[in-house]
Amino acid sequence: MKKPRFGFDVRKIVESRLFYPSVTLALILLVDAIFIPGFFHLEIKEGHLFGNLIDVLRNSTPIIILAMGMTLVIATGGVDLSVGAVMAIAASTACIMLNPNLIGVRLADVTREADPTYSASPLWAVFIVPLFIAVICGLWNGALVAYGKIQPMVATLILMIAGRGIAQLVTNAIKIIIYNNTFLQLGNGWVLLLPFALFIAAAVFALAWFITRRSSIGLFIESVGINARSSFYSGIDEKKIKLFAYMFCGFCAGAAGLIAVSSIRTSDANQVGLYSELDAILAVIIGGTVLGSGGRFSLLASVIGALVIQATTTSTLAFGVPASAIIAVKALVVIIVILLYSQQVQDFVRRLATQSRPKESRS
Amino acid sequence: MMRSMNATFSKNRKLLPLAATIILFCLAYGAGALFYPGMRDSQVFFTLFITSPFLLINAVGETLVIISGGIDLSVSGMIALTSTASASLLRGGWNPWLVMLLMLAMGAALGTIMGLLITYMKVQPFIATLAGMWFARGMCYIISDLEVRIYDPTYKLLAGTKLLIPGLADPVTQKGDYVTILVVLSMFVLAAGIFISQYTRFGRTVYSIGGNNGANEVSARLMGLPVNRTKVLVYTFNGICSALAGIAYSIYVGSGHGTHASNGYEMTVIAAVVIGGTMLTGGEGYVFGSLFGVLTTALIQTLIQFNGRLSSWWTSIAIGLLTLFFIGVQSLLVNLNTRQLARRRPGAVPGKQALDRRMVFAYSAGIVVVLVVGALLMPTIQRTFARTFTSATPASSACDLKPLRKDQAAQLMKDGAVITYERNGGLRCVDELYAIYPDGRIVADNGQQKLTKQVAPADVDHLLSDINKLGWFTDDMYTTNHRPCGACFSYATTVSYNGQTKTVEAVDGGTDAPANYWQMSGEVLVVVPQFSTPSE
Amino acid sequence: MTESNSAIVTMQGISKSFPGVQALENVDFVLRRGEIHALVGENGAGKSTLIKVMTGVERPDRGTIRLGDKETVIRSPLEAQKLGITTVYQEVNLCPNLTVAENIMIGRQPMKLGSIDWKTMNARARDVLSGLDINLDVTRTLGSCSVAIQQMAAIARALEISAAKILILDEPTSSLDAHETQLLFGVMRKLRADGIGIIFITHFLDQVYEIADRTTVLRNGKLVGTYETASLPRLELITKMIGRSLDELDDVTRLKVSTSHHIKPEPLVHAQGLGRAGSIEPFDLELHEGEVVGLAGLLGSGRTEIAQLLFGADKPDTGTISMDGVQVEYSSPVESIARGVALCPEDRKAAGIVDDLTVRENIILAMQASLGWIKHLSLQEQYAIADKYIKLLNISTPSADQPVKNLSGGNQQKVILARWLATNPRLLILDEPTRGIDVGTKAEIQKLVLSLAEEGKSCMFISSELEEVLRTSHRIVVLRDRRKIVEFGGDATEQQVMESIAGSK
Repeated sequence: MKKPRFGFDVRKIVESRLFYPSVTLALILLVDAIFIPGFFHLEIKEGHLFGNLIDVLRNSTPIIILAMGMTLVIATGGVDLSVGAVMAIAASTACIMLNPNLIGVRLADVTREADPTYSASPLWAVFIVPLFIAVICGLWNGALVAYGKIQPMVATLILMIAGRGIAQLVTNAIKIIIYNNTFLQLGNGWVLLLPFALFIAAAVFALAWFITRRSSIGLFIESVGINARSSFYSGIDEKKIKLFAYMFCGFCAGAAGLIAVSSIRTSDANQVGLYSELDAILAVIIGGTVLGSGGRFSLLASVIGALVIQATTTSTLAFGVPASAIIAVKALVVIIVILLYSQQVQDFVRRLATQSRPKESRS
Repeated sequence: MMRSMNATFSKNRKLLPLAATIILFCLAYGAGALFYPGMRDSQVFFTLFITSPFLLINAVGETLVIISGGIDLSVSGMIALTSTASASLLRGGWNPWLVMLLMLAMGAALGTIMGLLITYMKVQPFIATLAGMWFARGMCYIISDLEVRIYDPTYKLLAGTKLLIPGLADPVTQKGDYVTILVVLSMFVLAAGIFISQYTRFGRTVYSIGGNNGANEVSARLMGLPVNRTKVLVYTFNGICSALAGIAYSIYVGSGHGTHASNGYEMTVIAAVVIGGTMLTGGEGYVFGSLFGVLTTALIQTLIQFNGRLSSWWTSIAIGLLTLFFIGVQSLLVNLNTRQLARRRPGAVPGKQALDRRMVFAYSAGIVVVLVVGALLMPTIQRTFARTFTSATPASSACDLKPLRKDQAAQLMKDGAVITYERNGGLRCVDELYAIYPDGRIVADNGQQKLTKQVAPADVDHLLSDINKLGWFTDDMYTTNHRPCGACFSYATTVSYNGQTKTVEAVDGGTDAPANYWQMSGEVLVVVPQFSTPSE
Repeated sequence: MTESNSAIVTMQGISKSFPGVQALENVDFVLRRGEIHALVGENGAGKSTLIKVMTGVERPDRGTIRLGDKETVIRSPLEAQKLGITTVYQEVNLCPNLTVAENIMIGRQPMKLGSIDWKTMNARARDVLSGLDINLDVTRTLGSCSVAIQQMAAIARALEISAAKILILDEPTSSLDAHETQLLFGVMRKLRADGIGIIFITHFLDQVYEIADRTTVLRNGKLVGTYETASLPRLELITKMIGRSLDELDDVTRLKVSTSHHIKPEPLVHAQGLGRAGSIEPFDLELHEGEVVGLAGLLGSGRTEIAQLLFGADKPDTGTISMDGVQVEYSSPVESIARGVALCPEDRKAAGIVDDLTVRENIILAMQASLGWIKHLSLQEQYAIADKYIKLLNISTPSADQPVKNLSGGNQQKVILARWLATNPRLLILDEPTRGIDVGTKAEIQKLVLSLAEEGKSCMFISSELEEVLRTSHRIVVLRDRRKIVEFGGDATEQQVMESIAGSK
């Protein structure tokens, strides 16, 4: 084990899990800096910061939150496809609790519908109940995977298909408009010049970090993902760990759903969280956690992964690509990142590196 | 004796899921015919085929991919891309047959690229094909942001030709049961799929590499089979199928756009394949089974349409539950298999775990039942919930939906209104028409009484510019219209601003009306005067 | 039976080493035409490596392989197949989801008019199988057939596709019952008569004597010798497999003698009538604190199964376990660990190390698991524990933060030992702790086990090397054919134990 003894250890930095995601993010921002004038321009308007960077941060919050739960699930060797649907379920639940009147009969005092302080249920319940339901959804997924021994992709596919139907069932397929100002703050509010949602994302990140790194859960998740049998012999309850990961993922999906619905102000079960599962999975993959086999994970790297995705989106928009065509660019970025991470390419690069030095090695 | 019984069972066990699907299909169809006399018309059966030729074509390709142990999510994107690309090429005056050929080549190329990534670069099929789907969808919008309509006579001919069913139709009057050319095309693809999967070396190799958690692929390699080539070709084949499905789709809807086949179409395809008895883990299944998977999903939609009171979102719940059911059947079969093995190989599978699994299944089944019952009761609960907030007016759903008063709205616009906002429906079938004038006057008319309200002219300006900002005059604001569900409203709103005038209609149940429409609706509702609830 | 004695495979001076292990050292092996050649040896003796070299899975570091009289380099399993070398594993490498006929014919299906001619294919498959005196419905799926039939199908495929000259059967009988075994032997005899050379790997010595013409014994990667089976007494064979001349009174033995008076009279763990259908017949066993109990027996005699039952990884069908005189219900490793029982499992790679985790994390894993989810060892505590055991067990690693996969086999084994020592167990079960590691580390681990006993722990020591068991154990339990045969005291001689392992014959 040769180690360069410089002021800082180059190898350690290169091998750090944060290295590749950070480099990717930096490259994207660099391209922006060169080609898009004023991309980094920030200004204060009406008491908040405005600018492309803030947009990236603000729009990436649901992805960051989802990525936290998804990281844990993928680290156990699974995947959760249902997060988008769970977001929709949580969103619909919150809306129906805020304003059940649009369903069936309208209120006698109709003006209250549009009253910015009106909420049919106590506000704390509007936040807690959807989260609780989302955790139940996670429980369902986790039970199918851990105890039912169904492949994670298959098990979560069920809720992915049925979930949006359930979300519409909750609101009777009516798009409920949200007027409650407090609830709207979730997705649209600003605190200390920054979007309020960003603080929620930070809180979820802190929570996830605390749960996994300040207890033994993180170690167990990694251990189960790397070698479930060894973990079993070491006395780790693999099933409960998996169940926990899926439940936490459900919780994150619920939180992301609340933010998403708050920012679009309407319960729309077909739009809330559409394709979010893909964004979340990609964020985790870019963060270097291996889909399929699980194992080592880094929450911070997943956050950077989420930022990479959103930065790609925002800068493609800034380049003038139509909003709807952005996914094509995203697809290319994803494939490139995955190829860069793949064993084949890394082996190839290593071979190139060794070949370029001594010429005598290969015949 | 026992031995032969065992053999028959083991030979036919793979057919169990398929048999279950066929029985379920027949039962559901029979029940439908029993409850809805309209379904006894034999044309309803043919309509199942007519409405889903592209789904069947996709299901055939997807079946092979899933049997090989992979998955292809790109099918919906490919449909969108094929439809958009062919529509714009046709608009450019290209020969329609050449266009179709080009589309098939494009599908094959994209499929091959994904196959190469999956096989040689070891990218997970899920991710590679997902990227493929995004790429294809994104390209649609680069080709054209707007929906491109197809006026090509060949396409029109292919779409419009009715092939009468001999014996069930009268060839002279051209009346009676029929199918379309697309149905024949899809049946041809189905036949080709069956032939490839059962009677070619390629097809059998596809079976040999799927399933058993990747162990079969290793075995197949050791057996000297061309595993890599087969894996790539499976995706190529599915690419061609997707392109063909895209062509069928564009013929069917007569246009091309990036939103075609959205809202989880790929999941419907996968669900149809699973319902058709193919193991999602690969290695087992029949292309023929997917026909029944497709028919069952189509039947669910038909039943819900015939029911009339259920909204379209019941389709996705029903399909989800069916998928769950079939996955349950599959894992039961797998369990049976391992238990048989365990009997032969003592100590391989601890009996306790198998017992645990059965317990879990009992629990899961219980949860499903609870969920379903809960879901069924939900509307009732909601209604009771809603009633507690009102002065206990009985909700009568038996009122008549009044038509939108479009002429009257147009007249109001002519008289100087800048916004007319109409909503009717809901449980009491209200029929409200609001007109907002630039001077701040608002007139509301619900057919029986008129209310007026005065607001500041600046408020109206503000409202107008807000609506404009929501993208009212862009293509993001489009009309969606159909009969609303029992408690839903339909809306028609006309806005005139800066010399532009545009009317957009929407229904707030089960459609994809643009989200900003509801934003507009909310802002208008705050301003307009409110009718008091009629007290009976 | 053997008309021609000419060799079809001659391997000379084969050596192969893996990081940390010399798997094969200068091994010679000759297979003749028309013979059944048994290859025997305990775990880690080098049987599978030798087979891998012959089938092109591994390339030897040194040595030559000649097929007939042509020197050949075998690069891949596919090439080996083309050369007529076919292997049938215990876990059959066929596709259980296809029919028997397809498995035999796939890749070479008869075609008619561009489509597969199923009729001809089934007929051909039936012919091949009936050539082996097997008659069955070839349209059944392979997965629904017994393992024996699956092996026959694999043999049939080898005959049909590649005209096999050399057939390697790797532990084919370990999951067959008596009837199926006879079926397989019938096929083997038939093939032998056809002039095919068969290498038969097994750990059932009865079967060696029943069918093999010659027997080659490997031990610790070295060739012990090749013998005519008929002229090799059973006891001698076992001696060759597991025996070694004892170095009287070395350090370990001295330690063993000096610790024997620490043994507590009352049992820590008492198993009564404990058994599990298909894995171990009901047995009684007492384990005392301060004592090392060795399990001796051949591979597959039920050693590992006892360990699994005592640890709660498997659930017993019959019998009870009591600890400190109180009957306990074991149902999972978690509970066992809480009671102070620890198991170092047999397969280090699959069930021992968690290879991407660091040495530190591997060491604290079981201790942390017993603390639960919430109570968390701080980083300082973790480093303290890890460093303590790295020093105590002399684990050679650049740092505690090294991923454990970068360590050598012996050091990985020490890490797993450390993991269990950190939980401070009362009963430590070690299943083959010295397999595949170098001699120096072996002695270290043996000494460690005895010093743990001296500290008052109860240890169970399982090993394929009888000599090792004799050296370290205060008491030896002998197993044969999934049954406990007899117990010896620590002063038992190798001869005594060997005889009871071999059985009365």
